[in-house]
Amino acid sequence: MKRWKLKWNWARNSSFAAIGLSFQLATAQQQLGQLEGEFRLNGKETWKAFDPIREVLQASSAVIYEGWKSIGYGVVVSSDGYLVTKASEIEGLEELSVRIDRQHFKEVRVVASTVEWDVALLKVEAEGLTLIEWAEMEPEHGAWVVSNGSTTRRDRRVRVGIISANAREVGGGRAPVVLGVSLDTGEESEGLMIQKVHKDSGADEAGLEPEDMILEMDGVQVGNMEELQAVLSEKEPGDKLRMRVKRGEKELDFEVELKKRESVFEEKKTRNDAMSGRVSKRRTNFPRVIQTDLPLSVRSVGGPLLDLEGRCVGMNIARANRCETFAIPSKELLAVVGDLMNSHRDGDSSDEKESLPK
Amino acid sequence: MMKNSPASCRKIGRSALFITFAFLTGGLVHGVEQKEGERPYFNEKQAPENIRDLKKIQESLQKNLPRSRAATVSIDLGGGSGSGVIVSEKGLVLTAAHVSAGVGKKMTVIMEDGTRYKAVSLGLVASTDAAMVQIEEEGSYPYVELDRGDTPSLGDWVYALGHSGGFEKERGVGVRIGRLVRMAEQTINSDCNLIGGDSGGPLFDMNGRLIGIHSRVGASLEQNMHVPLREFLANWNGMLNKEFIGEGPFAQKATAFMGIGTEDREEGGVVVQEVGEDTPAAVAGIKEGDVILEIGGEKVENKESFSASLKELSPGDKVKLKILRNDEEMEIEVELGEK
Repeated sequence: MKRWKLKWNWARNSSFAAIGLSFQLATAQQQLGQLEGEFRLNGKETWKAFDPIREVLQASSAVIYEGWKSIGYGVVVSSDGYLVTKASEIEGLEELSVRIDRQHFKEVRVVASTVEWDVALLKVEAEGLTLIEWAEMEPEHGAWVVSNGSTTRRDRRVRVGIISANAREVGGGRAPVVLGVSLDTGEESEGLMIQKVHKDSGADEAGLEPEDMILEMDGVQVGNMEELQAVLSEKEPGDKLRMRVKRGEKELDFEVELKKRESVFEEKKTRNDAMSGRVSKRRTNFPRVIQTDLPLSVRSVGGPLLDLEGRCVGMNIARANRCETFAIPSKELLAVVGDLMNSHRDGDSSDEKESLPK
Repeated sequence: MMKNSPASCRKIGRSALFITFAFLTGGLVHGVEQKEGERPYFNEKQAPENIRDLKKIQESLQKNLPRSRAATVSIDLGGGSGSGVIVSEKGLVLTAAHVSAGVGKKMTVIMEDGTRYKAVSLGLVASTDAAMVQIEEEGSYPYVELDRGDTPSLGDWVYALGHSGGFEKERGVGVRIGRLVRMAEQTINSDCNLIGGDSGGPLFDMNGRLIGIHSRVGASLEQNMHVPLREFLANWNGMLNKEFIGEGPFAQKATAFMGIGTEDREEGGVVVQEVGEDTPAAVAGIKEGDVILEIGGEKVENKESFSASLKELSPGDKVKLKILRNDEEMEIEVELGEK
């Protein structure tokens, strides 16, 4: 199939002579010993063996659309239309719609989200949805995993891979929000002295300056990085933080807006990033992930990660690079879903009849 | 075995044969364990057909993975890093030539648990990207079996290990699954996704035997190229003997360095104009004004012939110079350095 398509494109783009040429090339390739696309790891023929698991994706994963374009997937977590997806991929989008199996839901509410895990809870008006079955054990290295890869209006398609590294925290447990300053943390320094104020950060907008010494945040004395991170880890982007600093002999008070780490600090591009193509906007600073070798695109994360029994072992949360894709493990994901449901209910008591996933 | 028939014909013949075979085994000897070292049955299928086939692939991989992981190392060269795999109890490591980047170079080998060992590069094949490294500390190291029979065929299921992007203790070594998607004389391709830092890492068949070493990637995810193990086997003794085999593109021969500036002399030979501080020439006692008449027994005509002779030599070589100093001929031995 793949080769026919190639030939057709060539013919269309150049001339009839190209057909003969491409035919010769294809024949030559086969003689050299090429495995045709459909038999490769992520080829159509290989996918067929995973069909029972594809059916779980068909019933219990959601396709998220912005207008006509599919921009990600989601995990259905209640029969009455709650689902979770990757928060940073839907941020600021206005024409969201959702497809589950063959039903299209044009009204989508984003009801809660967490910056710590980059997960958003969405709600569509549905009933009788098929719930996903959760795996009890975390999968081991080398275990097959199956995920959404692409979709038509009717059918979900799989991508397959394996668990490829140790489950772990990524990004060193830094708070997802930042003041936007670099601090002098050398052994000589006493307290937290600002070295640099980053452009367009909350600290910059509030008027903090280099050599200001941070004394208090929200009324709490902070004297080292741990204490500072402890205050920040409780915060969400957009929160305002009261800061007292010492500038020269004076003590000054500021109100600083906290921003997302990735919106202030641009990640350094490495050579490996250059060979990876597009990677997720948010691909680090997760409390715990499992790693797979799934070849997902930036637009195919957010959906469930399934084992060979069709049970959910996690939710794809980031394409980190060419060979590393991260997922939130199911145990942590269930806790996140529980928290999001609770915060949603606290804020909106009219939805109380809706059921929590177990 | 149909090992020697062309790949394209073999595939068709094999799959046709297999249908009958699978049917028979399914009915008669169901549940018989695959013997150690035998070709797994799923390699004979064009594609896995059901969950059972997939589970068998997973079982094979998971059975062999702990041993493969234990023997896969990160190679730290200071400026950059690659991967490698231990193939003998005494710590012989196979890697890529563009990772070891030369003969006799010092480097550090890091095990998955973070233990670090001093190592030195042995020989390499510059034309195909094969190389050997030896751990210098004595010990009993975990190692993997080699596929000595050159058994891989197009479509075989394989797995790739490597320390992608450098050593990361929390993450550990990364494993990726795939199939052999292209077979050529000096490279095999798989669709196991590789990235920088994986170079030099091992490619295994589903029996956990080493079949190749990661070399480079193409633009598409399915172009991941490996040096076939036969390339290592064919050059095994040369590499053990620290030979620099072949030319370009994966390693450049280090140029020998003496550390002097010279000028032509009418009567033949070259006059030393300058001796660099702490250079091999200075260490050997060569002085400004010395006339070099011969190098390694060959007459020096002029600057060109002198540098041509030097080019034939390698860093670490000891070469005798015949020198004229104050109208007296003498012989000085210089141990050449590396530029």
